[in-house]
Amino acid sequence: MTSAIEVTDLTKTYSSFGGRKIEALRGVSFRVEPGEMFGLLGPNGAGKTTSVKILLGLTRATTGTASLMGMSVHDPESRRRVGYLPEGHRIPNYLTARQALSIFGRMSGLDSRQLADRIPPLIERVRLSQWLDMKVKKFSKGMTQRLGLACAMIHSPDVLLLDEPTDGVDPVGRREIRDLLREEADRGTAVLLNSHLLSEIETTCDKVAVLRGGKVAAAGRIDELTATGSQYRMIAAGIDEPLVSSLQLTGAIVARQNGHLLLTVRDIQQLNELIDRTRANGHAISEIAAVRSSLEDIFVDLIKTGEIEQNSPGALQGGVQP
Amino acid sequence: MKVMLANIEDVLREAAARWTLMAYFLLSSIFILIFAFGVNLDIVDGALAGARLFGKDAEVRNPMDIEKLVLGFESGFSAFLYLIGIFLAIFATAHLVPRLQEKGTADLYLSRPVSRFGLLTSRYIAGLLLAATNLVYLIGSIWLMVIWKTHVVHPRFLLSGVIILFVVAVLLAFAFLVGVVTSSTAVSIMATYAIFLFAALLSGHERLAAAVSKEWQANLIHGLYSFFPKTAELGQAVVKAVAGGELGERMPDTLTLPVFGSTLAFGLLCFTLAAVVFQRKEF
Repeated sequence: MTSAIEVTDLTKTYSSFGGRKIEALRGVSFRVEPGEMFGLLGPNGAGKTTSVKILLGLTRATTGTASLMGMSVHDPESRRRVGYLPEGHRIPNYLTARQALSIFGRMSGLDSRQLADRIPPLIERVRLSQWLDMKVKKFSKGMTQRLGLACAMIHSPDVLLLDEPTDGVDPVGRREIRDLLREEADRGTAVLLNSHLLSEIETTCDKVAVLRGGKVAAAGRIDELTATGSQYRMIAAGIDEPLVSSLQLTGAIVARQNGHLLLTVRDIQQLNELIDRTRANGHAISEIAAVRSSLEDIFVDLIKTGEIEQNSPGALQGGVQP
Repeated sequence: MKVMLANIEDVLREAAARWTLMAYFLLSSIFILIFAFGVNLDIVDGALAGARLFGKDAEVRNPMDIEKLVLGFESGFSAFLYLIGIFLAIFATAHLVPRLQEKGTADLYLSRPVSRFGLLTSRYIAGLLLAATNLVYLIGSIWLMVIWKTHVVHPRFLLSGVIILFVVAVLLAFAFLVGVVTSSTAVSIMATYAIFLFAALLSGHERLAAAVSKEWQANLIHGLYSFFPKTAELGQAVVKAVAGGELGERMPDTLTLPVFGSTLAFGLLCFTLAAVVFQRKEF
């Protein structure tokens, strides 16, 4: 199956007038499949926007390849099935919502009949029905953002590239946008989300790539990235000091925490040994769950690791490739 | 075509919402109204027997042939329209590219499945459409006014609009080139006005070349004259085209292929360069 977005070994070097070169991207690769929600993360200057701009043909890669629905991004036709919401976009404020949707829809190849069919349900989905014939200059930031999203979706694209889509939107509106994006993904649309709101990415996306210093520092499914692998939380009846002492005899690190046990184990066998001992001691286990880090923890760790590496003499620049 | 029409609609809607275009039509309207109410002619048997200009009686010693009077007026007036039409058109359209290249706007338009050349061309056509609309309004109204006041129908006056639009097209191509490179509306307007005036000065290239001491300097002046649009000659061409006949024949021969051809070549070069730079530009 053709990937919706495929980026391979992208590099981008900017040259200044003084001959100084800045490497914005240093071999970035990632793929987004149809129906997938993909988060692109990274601190400022990590290369997120440059990657998206290359995908849209707004800027050219120095080396490497990028394609959308199997078509090279050099071909303007590759953008026919793409909807893009740029950060800080400026939908012309002299247009009404209807006119903006009509103009951007026709620029994406829709005819009047298709527009007449598409505009009413779409504007309803972004909760702007009452404002359809109002000039954009009367819109709040959140409303402009929702209209921008509607403009990106007017031609039912197969790929959505969204830069900070919930910027300026209230919490209820954010939830609605997240739900709308999930619906689009369920319909088979590949969604690439570029956001600083890690909690939002965590609750919305299936996969992420973390960019650092122009490289992919980590990539994968969120649940895989956030799993610590060695810590488990156990809830059992009547947890007491003798039980803790008994479990510690196995060599595992066992701590009582808020009425449950926090177990740090070597491997899965050791975890099973702890379970056996607990049950043998007559304590009924009601829950065992792997302890996960938040995406924010992972992100901060990755960025800090990068800073340490950069500050170490002779250390490798950037991070690990996925 | 859909893309082109959508872009043109966008530009026209923007123009309708901007005060510059309002001012463009307002100035033209004031001008037309002044002409309509300020000039009253008394015509007897096809000759001007008397006139009232802005409420004051103008002395007419010998009855004049009204047709000759209209011809003289329209010829002279077309030179004024040449200047005012071009300056207003550039002022009202030079923002089209710099505005497109603004952060947050460029992304919205360039992320659509449209080639950059198509995008630039559609904005250029929209700009010309705006200029043409105003020229039709200004020149057409004055023409109808003259017919109303004098009952003389002189269609050659409308030729002035065609030549003015030709010069606007060339200068707008230059404004687009400056706009693509600098992303500045102010610089586009200033540079285009500067080119218009500089090129007009070069019409005296023979005298300028004779005044310099070195041959390479003279060659440079002749070279610049050949390269730049012939704005002064085209102004004369407007008058000559409107006058026609005997009056036109007495004027310098500026309705020539070299004058129009070299100006067109300058415009084509500017637009091609603008398209190449825009194509290569990174946003």
